[in-house]
Amino acid sequence: MELLGLGNAFALIGGAMAVFLAGAGSAIGIGIAGRSAAGVLTEKPERYGINFIMVVLPGTQGFYGFLGGFLVVQNLGLLDPSYSITLSWQQGLMIFAACLPIAFTGLVSAIHQGKVCAGGIMMAAKRPEMAFKAGVVYAVMVEVYAILGLLVTLFMLNSVDWAALKEAAIAVGN
Amino acid sequence: MTTIAEKSVLDFCLYPPVGEEDWRYAFASAQVKSLETFMLSKAVLQDMASASSFEEALDLLSASEYSSLQGKNLEQINEALLEKRKQVRSLFLDLAVDDGIAELLEARSDFANLRLALRRKLTENPIGVDYSEDGFVKALEFENVFEQENYSPLPIYMREAIEAAVLAYYQNKDIRQIDYAIDAEHFRYIIAKAIALKDDFLVGLFRMRADLTNIRTMLRLKYREAQELCGFVPGGYVDESVLKHCINLDYDSIRAMFFSTPYYELVEAGVNYLVSDKSFLKIEQQCDEHIGGYLSEGMMVTAGSQPVIAYLLLKESEIRKVRLILTAKKNLLDTKLILDRLGE
Repeated sequence: MELLGLGNAFALIGGAMAVFLAGAGSAIGIGIAGRSAAGVLTEKPERYGINFIMVVLPGTQGFYGFLGGFLVVQNLGLLDPSYSITLSWQQGLMIFAACLPIAFTGLVSAIHQGKVCAGGIMMAAKRPEMAFKAGVVYAVMVEVYAILGLLVTLFMLNSVDWAALKEAAIAVGN
Repeated sequence: MTTIAEKSVLDFCLYPPVGEEDWRYAFASAQVKSLETFMLSKAVLQDMASASSFEEALDLLSASEYSSLQGKNLEQINEALLEKRKQVRSLFLDLAVDDGIAELLEARSDFANLRLALRRKLTENPIGVDYSEDGFVKALEFENVFEQENYSPLPIYMREAIEAAVLAYYQNKDIRQIDYAIDAEHFRYIIAKAIALKDDFLVGLFRMRADLTNIRTMLRLKYREAQELCGFVPGGYVDESVLKHCINLDYDSIRAMFFSTPYYELVEAGVNYLVSDKSFLKIEQQCDEHIGGYLSEGMMVTAGSQPVIAYLLLKESEIRKVRLILTAKKNLLDTKLILDRLGE
């Protein structure tokens, strides 16, 4: 299997950015929330359960980025040895652009969600009854914007006629 | 825009800005916020102060982290509280990400040791061995330095403080000049260091403390009708000339002078009490409360050096209050007097 043309390169860069940026944001966000949770658990180990939920919440953006990247790779046929799509540079740029929403909303929202979760974890140390009502709900409100980013990425990727590209690739024997 | 070091007393409403978040302190902030939940509430301190006896006051601590004090006499309690303070300081040193902040707070003990040693040295008393171990310069090293009169092992800021204190003392052989000079050098050092560390919270705290120290000094000088206007420390938001001017005013005008400052309420309460009860109890309590309010603002910061520093100082204050109440109860002091001092 051989990658052909600038279009494929653009598409793959877009997919890689979605995975890398959203994943990096999640790692930073989890790092922040995790450090805060560890600080609380030093004195209050009984808070492990609710803290765990708030530590993993910023990790979702990484999965969204992964989903965006995976769809690009799959649709290009890189996971199927029977065909490989060749894109024009305009099509490649379209796919590159489609990956940007989840890449950047994932990066920024995961870091901020990590900070919100850290605040929630510290608040729950003092007010455990507010842990879900405030801590988790506030964090989910940040999540909404990552979900919007993912939806736009999915809509944009769906706007490409992958079936026609696949048929053309099979027809020319790629 | 003015920097924190350049701000004047009119640039903020009640407290100076506490500064930005610093996520390097995520773990430390979370730990101190958990520990904060174990601190004594105002109600417990108030109940202790209102207790009918020392034993009853001690019983009120049975459900707190001070439960180990039960059954001990006052001397043992004082030792246990000192040990507790040591543990809190040790925790702070572990949690402080910036070494500079830890050094800055250790300098408190250094200056206290320095004051003691200089007083003894200049009045030709034995240097002694009872120095605090909490400072940057260890107690044993301190004794050796003063015994041998070789000050070179001390940090530069301490040598400068020694020079200033010795000069001040020999000008009129007044022992109080040592304290004034050491206090002035201490404030000069901690404010300059906090500015160098770019820690807005500490700069605000130290400058505010300088103001509160100066306000108390001004009221003392006024009350004593002192001729010599000394004892003011540098670095505060309120200009020294304003404070010196206040000494020549009547008490009503002093209140008015502070009307546009964040210190109006505490000056008013302190002056009213001074006039009615001839005591500085209220101004001391109000100053403690003002600092406590600023520290509580610092505790609100999600992550940063602010909650860590605030916890250390609030915990030290709590230990001091427990010690004060128990000592007062043991010595059968009036409940109103204790409550006035605590401001609970």
